Amino acid sequence: MANKVSVWTDNRFWQRSAAWVTGFAAVLLIWLTFDTSAQISMGTDADLQNGVTKRVPGPTVINYKITYEMSAKRGHEVPIIGGNDGSGMSLFQEKEKFFGRDDYSEEEAGALLHLGKLGSQTKNCMNCHTLLGNGAYYAPDLTKSWLDPAWQDGGTMQAMTGKSTKEEAMAEFLQHPSTYPTHARMMPDLGITAEEAKGLVAFLKHMSSIDTNGFPRNFGKIQGAVNGK
Amino acid sequence: MFEPMTDVIPSFFAWINQGPLTLTLFLHSIIILPMFWIYRQEKTRLENESK
Repeated sequence: MANKVSVWTDNRFWQRSAAWVTGFAAVLLIWLTFDTSAQISMGTDADLQNGVTKRVPGPTVINYKITYEMSAKRGHEVPIIGGNDGSGMSLFQEKEKFFGRDDYSEEEAGALLHLGKLGSQTKNCMNCHTLLGNGAYYAPDLTKSWLDPAWQDGGTMQAMTGKSTKEEAMAEFLQHPSTYPTHARMMPDLGITAEEAKGLVAFLKHMSSIDTNGFPRNFGKIQGAVNGK
Repeated sequence: MFEPMTDVIPSFFAWINQGPLTLTLFLHSIIILPMFWIYRQEKTRLENESK
């Protein structure tokens, strides 16, 4: 009969286990990194025209109408670009004027988004707001702010700013935020110019078209939480 | 337990992240089960050495 041995107090067992777990986890994480890079790479204008659904659509998505609709299949709301085909997929057909135009080229739209991104970093929006899960919750989450009912036609923000379109109302608000009483915690004036505001609104419109797997959950439905009603 | 793939872009990671149970089952079967094999190998080795 073999002598009783203790595997649990044996160094080699722990070394091999640790090497296996660490090595496998490393392989999994490196694979996950490449998988994620592919999924979050931005689409192109051709993708939009050919009806290819990308998690992050190309910059020319600002030419299209974007809505946020419940997908029964996925169990949460998804951004719908240019109309819904009835099964929760985008049709990429219905356009929407953005500052009077719906024919921005890929370069023009890309430049606008770039200006907006730099603007959001310069003015440090994340110091108070949340963008795609990064930032603070002192001020409303901006991930889907373009789709916030308060900014839609007939919403309070267009009436308050005296503008007749969503993008103009947003741009006006961004230039003079401390003029408009929105929340108890009002946004301070950050010296945003008209051109920067246009870029920022384009940046927000594009961000709302990103498929975030339903984040933030129940957007626009929780009273007093997301859109500050 | 096994949900249909609903992510916008089907991928291996979307499949294992369908829910907490799917992820747990996957990680345990792929990481913990081979450790039993390591355990048995080491046990056999120690038994042989102590003969």
